[in-house]
Amino acid sequence: MLGTDTTLDDLLVVRPGRVVEMVGDLGTGLTRLGLRLLADHSRTAPVVVLDSRGWISPPAAWETGVQPERLVVVRCPDHALWPKVTAVLLEGVRALYAEVPVRVKEQDLRRLAAMARARRVAVVMRGNPLPPGVSHLRLRAIGVTWEGADRGHGRLGRRRLVLEASGKGVAGIPRIIEVEDEGTDVVRLVSDVVVDRVAVG
Amino acid sequence: MWSLTGWQSDEPVLIVDDRVTGASDEVLAAGVTLGMLRREAEALAPFATVMPRDQGDETRRFEPVLQTVEDLVPRAEVVAPGLVFVPVAGAERFYGGEEALAHRFAVEMGRAAEGVRGGEPLVGVADGPFAARWAAAMAKVGEPRIVTDTIGFLAGLDLSTLREAMGGEEMIETFRWLGIGTLGDLARLPRDALATRFGDPGLLAHRLASGEDRPLDPRDIPADLVVRMEFEDPLETLDSVDFAARVLAERLTGSLRRRGVAPHTVAITVGSAGGEDRQRVWRSADPFTERALADRVWWQLRAWVESTGVPGGITSLTIEPADLSGEGRQLGLFSDETTLIETERALARVQTLVGPDGVLQGWPQGGRMPGERVSWSRWGETPDLPERDPAAPWPGATPTPHPALVPPDLRPIQVEWDDGMPSRIRLGSRWEPVLTWSGPWRLSGRWWAGEDDADRYQIVTSVGAFLCVVKPEGVFLAGVYD
Repeated sequence: MLGTDTTLDDLLVVRPGRVVEMVGDLGTGLTRLGLRLLADHSRTAPVVVLDSRGWISPPAAWETGVQPERLVVVRCPDHALWPKVTAVLLEGVRALYAEVPVRVKEQDLRRLAAMARARRVAVVMRGNPLPPGVSHLRLRAIGVTWEGADRGHGRLGRRRLVLEASGKGVAGIPRIIEVEDEGTDVVRLVSDVVVDRVAVG
Repeated sequence: MWSLTGWQSDEPVLIVDDRVTGASDEVLAAGVTLGMLRREAEALAPFATVMPRDQGDETRRFEPVLQTVEDLVPRAEVVAPGLVFVPVAGAERFYGGEEALAHRFAVEMGRAAEGVRGGEPLVGVADGPFAARWAAAMAKVGEPRIVTDTIGFLAGLDLSTLREAMGGEEMIETFRWLGIGTLGDLARLPRDALATRFGDPGLLAHRLASGEDRPLDPRDIPADLVVRMEFEDPLETLDSVDFAARVLAERLTGSLRRRGVAPHTVAITVGSAGGEDRQRVWRSADPFTERALADRVWWQLRAWVESTGVPGGITSLTIEPADLSGEGRQLGLFSDETTLIETERALARVQTLVGPDGVLQGWPQGGRMPGERVSWSRWGETPDLPERDPAAPWPGATPTPHPALVPPDLRPIQVEWDDGMPSRIRLGSRWEPVLTWSGPWRLSGRWWAGEDDADRYQIVTSVGAFLCVVKPEGVFLAGVYD
């Protein structure tokens, strides 16, 4: 379950019509976090994952609380087709996790974000930074640490992900947040620090 | 037991979707019953080969029987492969009475299904489809069951006969807890009280128990609700037929939804380039949803194409609602029908863009490597049974958490080792120092298939964690803990 801090409502829940973008290296844990942010939507409607790479693995989504029968994976390796596929999905789905390919045009991204707002779709976009104003909230991974593994002993357990949150979702005031992921559907915000105002693209 | 007709071997077999839909005699003798939960049946008959149900194929095999039925009495209503209702009110006089007609059905259907395992016809005659269905279930092969007192017949039936109509056991269990054991007990309760306590499902149960399962006040069908599609180039491939079925089903249910109604019965008609028209009526206890209707249309078209063929290909497809109901679909507590329909429509459109193999659902499956733990199925199709039991212990399985990104095939990756311990890993163009790791966990390869043994490591860097497999030929990336 989500929820140890009142700010979670704004930071770690994707409301209908909001676009949350996630920026960071592969391996930081943003895919799991993005799926977790949409997991609650699977109680009322399918969560659709637009998989540009063909690597999305459903068991990770199930671990975060997305119901197997409510998870649909759309594979779209053709980058030229991606905007059209996304637009069609936004016309019908209620929760979308989309991997954004590199070469998508800025105008397409702006149109898609406008569609998401108009159709009240909860959207998480993962990839390179989106143009300014497209997303409601940007979460940028700036560090990750793992517990459990110790030079050959144990196994991966709890992950702590440090994120910079910026955009309208934090009233334009960037914050550094630390999110704890236990590898199940438990994701907690463990610290929330307002940092000096910085320019974010 | 029509599910069993596709099974040619003498081995014991269990045909399942989530429940048992067919079973061979040995399996039934072990205590398995039709409608039993799959897991329960597998526990009772572990010796049986478990096969997934394929209703499209069952429809194709049922087609010759239906053809025989319609030769005797037109406008039969198919509910599912193996179950057909026939209105006999007019035909009985032509054939010399109910008994003569029922025997004629039994003989002719038996001939059409001759030699088909599990295809022995059972014929029941009663007032209304629900009673007729259970009369048929209690008939013997070659000996139709003709019910003259439908109310009396229903009164003696056990409550479990309502399971399908009620969509599960919950309400039946509640009735039993209240001391109601038969449909007769249920029918004796005041209908108003039942409706107040149990709502629409309670009302439906009371109507069925009282022999009132036909709509009491069928609505008129406006002519403009008929949907039709014509094809300049006759359709001959199943893929193009599938697409047409889905588009037309979407159009019909869309226009009906705007009027706040849904069909229980639809007539599907195809025109062929050879000039021959074919029609089949399908019936459902619940109002047809878009996907349920598209499935029925697809099964029927596939049956026609694969069994007798459509001469010259399909030139037109028409779907006509034969009755309408104001009932909505039974939804879960948190479900929203509009949302589900809009999502299904969007996904169907995406299928036309990325192809049917591009829209997928994953289902849990057993396995030791992350990629093995998902059984994929095309969205909208019944998933295959998992090859490996997900509930089995799977010793040696890669520990959780599961990597969120799993490449379809192992990807070569460069790792530097220092005295047998990983020290650096190459991520793209840069080398990242290994902060810590866990493993190795041995993975014994299937030597008989030419596989080598391998070791698995979870490697942690400052930018993330990775699942790597070390084989004699190199190191491979098996997953990213993203």
